Amino acid sequence: MHQIDCPWCGTRDEAEFQYQGDATVQRPKPDADEETFFRYVYARENPKGWHVEWWHHVAGCRQWIKVVRNTLTHEIDSTGGPQSKLTKPDEKGGTKS
Amino acid sequence: MAEFETVHPLGDLDQLLADHAHHGEGAPGVQLSIRTQAACVQLFSRKGRHEDVAKALKLNASPGVASASKSHTALPLSPGQWMVTSNQSADRLAAKLQAKIKDMGYVSQQGDARVCFRIAGPSARDLMARGCRLDLDESRVGTGFCAQTNMAQVGVLLHQISDEPAYDLYVYAGFARSFFHWLSHTAAQFGYRIDKL
Ligand SMILES: [Zn+2]
Repeated sequence: MHQIDCPWCGTRDEAEFQYQGDATVQRPKPDADEETFFRYVYARENPKGWHVEWWHHVAGCRQWIKVVRNTLTHEIDSTGGPQSKLTKPDEKGGTKS
Repeated sequence: MAEFETVHPLGDLDQLLADHAHHGEGAPGVQLSIRTQAACVQLFSRKGRHEDVAKALKLNASPGVASASKSHTALPLSPGQWMVTSNQSADRLAAKLQAKIKDMGYVSQQGDARVCFRIAGPSARDLMARGCRLDLDESRVGTGFCAQTNMAQVGVLLHQISDEPAYDLYVYAGFARSFFHWLSHTAAQFGYRIDKL
């Protein structure tokens, strides 16, 4: 069970949140080709290690937040709002996991 | 046009209370009170107008703390959103709030959409601990604390109304019956009385 730090509500139980996927995916330009849109909608990495992801605080403030979570250890490194530029620990020059 | 009969999930509250009015011998550990037409109005500010709305109505905008005036209490829900509760009619409250915030935001009357469950009595905190994941210990939170969370898999807006302690839980009307069953079942171990709020 995770404890997730909502930037507004404070630390709350995972049960109040819904996982909403990879937070680094960018919508392609409107004139992008079909293959690009297909990859945008359906294709996702399945990383072992650090991952920047969306969580919806559905039972709390109902805001979408960003969470840097390790998919292997379930450790949470940082959380922030949609505008936050969060970096993975292994991109800050730390050791790779 | 067809006429619809409105059905409230706790429309038979009188019968429900007659069947469940009390449980256990002696002084009850928990006093439960239910209000089906909770006088509450949801208040939304327009983008960038959060602070203007808070100022116009003298509301606290930071999370977890209710602000009370003589006529109403405002519970922060998220940035720029509050649930405002009152003893007066929800219609009058909605009109008054809209007049005060003008074009800075808008209001939505929630009287038919929520049911208020009040939990009081010496075992109120113990009962809350059976279903609420938040730390409600008196060393952490006191009167005026408010939060949205889940209890018994139902979304609740929680407001601590006194240090006794006592709590008001605002539950979506559609889940109120399910919540009532959980609440009466869980309160049975403490002994309870239920009445209308
Ligand atoms: Zn939140």
